[in-house]
Amino acid sequence: MLNLLFFKGKFCTWCGRPFRYGAFCHNCLEKLDYSKQQLKPCKYCGRFLPLNSSDICSQCQVELPVFHKARAVGAYRGILKEMIWELKYKGRRSLVKPLGQLLANITIKALRTERPHIIVPVPLTKFRLRARTFNQSELLALALGKELGISVGNDILIRTKETIPQAGLSRQQRWRNLAGAFRVKEPSKIRGSHLLLVDDVLTTGATASVCTHFLLGSGAVKITVVTLATGIEKSNYSL
Amino acid sequence: MNKVKGYPQSFFCWMGYVYLVYGKNSGHLGISHKPGLDFTFWVRQGYKNFKLLTPALPIGTAAFFRDLFLKSNLDREGNNKQLINKIMTIGRRLLGLTSWEPTKGALVEPLMPPPIDEIELIKEIMEGRIFWREELIQSMIENKIKVRTPLEDILHWLHLKGDILLFPGVGYDANGKPCCKRCGQSTKLIKVKCAACQSEDFVCEECLNMGQSRLCRPLYARQKSEKIAKRDYEVKCNPKLEFDLSLAQKDAYDKAKDFVAKGKAKECLLWAVCGAGKTEVAYGAITTVLERGGKVLYTCPRREVIRELYLRLRSVWPQLSIKAVYGGSTDKYSQADLILATTHQTLRFYRMFDLVILDEVDAFPLAGNPMLYHVVERARHQSGQVLWLTATPPTNLIERVNRRELEVIYLPARHHGYPLPEPKIITDPFLKWFGNKRVLKFLIKCIEVTLKQRVQILVFVSSVMEVKKLVKLLANCNLIQPSWVRGCYANCSRREEIINSFRKGEFPILVTTTVLERGVTIPRLNVLVLYADDERVFDNNTLVQIAGRVGRASTYPQGNVWFIGQRVTHSMASACKQIKNFNQLAYKRGYLLK
Repeated sequence: MLNLLFFKGKFCTWCGRPFRYGAFCHNCLEKLDYSKQQLKPCKYCGRFLPLNSSDICSQCQVELPVFHKARAVGAYRGILKEMIWELKYKGRRSLVKPLGQLLANITIKALRTERPHIIVPVPLTKFRLRARTFNQSELLALALGKELGISVGNDILIRTKETIPQAGLSRQQRWRNLAGAFRVKEPSKIRGSHLLLVDDVLTTGATASVCTHFLLGSGAVKITVVTLATGIEKSNYSL
Repeated sequence: MNKVKGYPQSFFCWMGYVYLVYGKNSGHLGISHKPGLDFTFWVRQGYKNFKLLTPALPIGTAAFFRDLFLKSNLDREGNNKQLINKIMTIGRRLLGLTSWEPTKGALVEPLMPPPIDEIELIKEIMEGRIFWREELIQSMIENKIKVRTPLEDILHWLHLKGDILLFPGVGYDANGKPCCKRCGQSTKLIKVKCAACQSEDFVCEECLNMGQSRLCRPLYARQKSEKIAKRDYEVKCNPKLEFDLSLAQKDAYDKAKDFVAKGKAKECLLWAVCGAGKTEVAYGAITTVLERGGKVLYTCPRREVIRELYLRLRSVWPQLSIKAVYGGSTDKYSQADLILATTHQTLRFYRMFDLVILDEVDAFPLAGNPMLYHVVERARHQSGQVLWLTATPPTNLIERVNRRELEVIYLPARHHGYPLPEPKIITDPFLKWFGNKRVLKFLIKCIEVTLKQRVQILVFVSSVMEVKKLVKLLANCNLIQPSWVRGCYANCSRREEIINSFRKGEFPILVTTTVLERGVTIPRLNVLVLYADDERVFDNNTLVQIAGRVGRASTYPQGNVWFIGQRVTHSMASACKQIKNFNQLAYKRGYLLK
């Protein structure tokens, strides 16, 4: 009772319960961890695999991704899925900072001592940006940049073509959908750099691969991808 | 989680100017996203000199400056510079804006006003509503209305004529503090940058579920016009009741009718005991308003109640147009005589209803949510009235009743004429956590009584963990069959199934949390509250509601209610006192038949 009366901490952005430090309260963090329990990330694309399977997912066994590696905070289900929906479709911006903290943790874990030079968010077209009034990847990139002390190049990569939303498309349709959709505005800024590409969800990896293709073609040397969520590889599981 | 992908997205950021226009004797300060329209309007009113005072600003900022200087001396022509300097100083000091160059001789070309037929269409559709531009588009699609002129121009013209109010989603108060003009709250405003108009922005997260309220997003509102709409059918609003009202109900019915007919008091509380049929009592008030040609809103926090009530009221008033509005309902924007809406949906009504009936005032999420009170109050027409219906009014309403600021109608007896079952308090200072034999002893005693009476029992505990533990404990105690006891809580995946099978009488003991304190009617039921002294969970209102589950049917009007705890808390005592007081009142008034 005294703790409640003289409470010095803050309130969880997701559930509103009081807590002392960190991104979310203990309960919510536990639920977030639960989404990747008994799972491990694929060595390359970061997609979650069962603990007893090999280190590389079936997709990467056929063809390695063009980016260096990808990592995600959790699997696209449960509380994390709800948070991404709230941020992306309702615009709940108070989630940006705590989710940025989670992204920072996963980035440090994935890259250890390799410090990326610039953070690049996956862009939206002007039309969709105007419709949504924010780019969730850019907001996450800014929060991540603040946490890690790395500059954010939100004008490096631009989207030149309006594409239909990726959700609901097959792997091949996603690739076709994104062909020629991006352009690097100032290649001189990224020449010889290690870039950290930020997005909300990595499903087939089509968006991240297409962006990587353009960034590498403009002189970047290494692209690491961090996302909030990714899929789980199961024979009967799809996003 | 909402499966509909997002809300209607915003495509229109209101960026506009503050302007000053002079006539022969006076000046007028206004805001506009297209000053040419305003120029045309004011020239028609006899005004001449039109001057822009600011660069393009978000509507929240522009409206702040307009409201601040609206009452200042604008009679003298030529004080533009002073005014611009004042605006700049205040903008810098309070809102952190940077200075701007005065727009020297910026020419404003007059623009053609929108066509009159389109203006009238929009005026009609906006009646009693408060909309974002995107919601208005949705409403037009639903009502099959099309216009050629940009919608924001028509709305602005109506605003100039004084037919529509224009204000920002998030605006500033007189001290320059931001607050949401939509939900009235200022606690969850987040500073952001709008990617659409590139302005520094605020977003309100309190009402985010109903669409983004922003500094650059305009809200349009129009109150219901005073003239009474004539219906094209005969108005006979007498409700078709399937049963006769009891004496207590009849008295309350007449009093509610009087409250509306006299129209002296603006608010009234109908304080009824649980299961007394307070909705039927409100029919009198509804009838009176409908017969006058007025509009009625029946609002309640829960969607299930609205859906169920819709079916009921359609058979009560088959000749009237009745509409149910809730999250997920298809027809949200058309007009009706009687509208049933969840409290969140009332956010889209503006000064529309002659009578607002607010049911379950103290239920989640209405309880303790100032936003919902604000929007319900805004839905009422300025000359309209509010009727609160509840069995457990919140403290602020009780205090107002005690201070005689609020009229009250008591409905102290149920329709079958039996008194309310009064709770029996069982205390034991050594009553401890589960596993303690004393807990089991008390429980088994009450369960035995229940099973002997061949009725069912609802056991309330304070947490989900306790539900699970108690179910396990009872199932393993060897005194009752394990299949006789089941547990149910808010996130239980089989909640509906368990409740339905309990309703059918398939098992006698259901352990639950306060999730079942309302909305459950089982004809033959006893109730037990374990650890009723846990005041964090079992407050006065919760205990009254729980006790109100018992004795609702005439087949078993006097069940048992047990409160078990280590001590008698204030909540337990006042819940018992409230029930006793109602029984005494019912006895005094001669409502009790048995």
